[in-house]
Amino acid sequence: MHGFANPKRFLGLAAWLTPLCLLLGLALTGGALAWGLFAAPADRLMGETVRIIFLHVPFAWLGMGGWAAMAAASLAFLVWRHPLAALAARAVAAPGAVFTALCLATGSIWGRPAWGTWWVWDGRLTSMLVLLFLYLAYIALAQAAAREGVSARIPAIFALLGAINLPIINRSVVWWNSLHQPASITLGKSTIDPAFLAPLAVAAFGFSLLFGGIVLARMRALLADAQADARLRRQALEAA
Amino acid sequence: MKPKHQRLVLVVVALVALIAAGLLAAWALRNQASYFYLPEQMQSDPPAVGQGVRLGGMVEMGSLRTLADGVTIAFVVTGNGDARVPVRFAGILPDLFEEGSGVVAEGSLQADGTFRADNLLAKHDENYVPRELEGMSRMQAAKMAEETTVGLE
Amino acid sequence: MVREALDQWDFVFAAYAIGIAGTLVTIGWSWLGMKRAEARRDRARRR
Repeated sequence: MHGFANPKRFLGLAAWLTPLCLLLGLALTGGALAWGLFAAPADRLMGETVRIIFLHVPFAWLGMGGWAAMAAASLAFLVWRHPLAALAARAVAAPGAVFTALCLATGSIWGRPAWGTWWVWDGRLTSMLVLLFLYLAYIALAQAAAREGVSARIPAIFALLGAINLPIINRSVVWWNSLHQPASITLGKSTIDPAFLAPLAVAAFGFSLLFGGIVLARMRALLADAQADARLRRQALEAA
Repeated sequence: MKPKHQRLVLVVVALVALIAAGLLAAWALRNQASYFYLPEQMQSDPPAVGQGVRLGGMVEMGSLRTLADGVTIAFVVTGNGDARVPVRFAGILPDLFEEGSGVVAEGSLQADGTFRADNLLAKHDENYVPRELEGMSRMQAAKMAEETTVGLE
Repeated sequence: MVREALDQWDFVFAAYAIGIAGTLVTIGWSWLGMKRAEARRDRARRR
């Protein structure tokens, strides 16, 4: 476990993994979206608007998966004092927030032709909006902690607390009558026709690679900033 | 116990307690936070006449018709049981509103037991099926695929 | 019965435009931020 905590080892790995994730992700996502836009069939009920699923669902999965990763990294930081884990949690927050916002935006654009409304305050939509606000609060908290010298444990604890929202989002369509339909894909079972499922799987994998590449790039940026600050501080001390 | 393990136990215990509290609160909210009434809920525990509520369910097959005034449409919303709620609506229908599909009606219950809707929202299910395969059984679809492939040879 | 009769492709294209633009901007922003931070570190090391 502590092998990964070594920044030098991480940087060696991330040097080639970052562009690889981004390039492969761009190729797969581009192909899957072209497939979904031009080759996939129209849905029996929803018609052409079903094509929005290839964006909306990967964004939703990664928005939620991002917080789960942040919570896991925060746990590793709190318990094992893993220095890179805190960095990883901070690096996930921005793409997690962006993907959650894109999930809400594409869902809203989908809701207008499919349901007849841009937005409703049902359990699923509301809990997803709460996730976006949690991301924004975490980003503000992590920035304040880094700048004001407050303990990095505060945002880490917040990331763990916020994870309560994840099962609520997942169960919202089961517990409450909601306008949003129940899950189409549950463990080992799918009610999506293979004609839609195949491009959706490729799109989800491609967006996951992009998400991973973004996180690696942001971790490298945070690490480089920390190294530069440490170097400059030492030089200032030596000069004094 | 090593301090590392103490921290782990502490964090896990705190986490379990918090998640339990959060889930309990959400579960307690389950009736208040529902977006709409089901037909059976509307009949067993009806809202006050004229009170703004939402009704959600399936549009019964064969129940959709236009009334004599030419503007108002009438249909029946069914739920899981035998409960049926007649609905009246005068306005623009969402494109995906149809018989045998889900609907959420915003409006109020009238004294005569009909539901007057001011707005309709279409609610679709979790099934995604290509338009070409509509109305076809799985076997027919497989047969058609087979025939198309044969035709290509 | 009066239907809304919306053009579905308008919504599809709007969703794709927002989704793709949002993803590309996030990638570019993160990549440039990384390059800038690593250049600053290398400058600090050379001094």
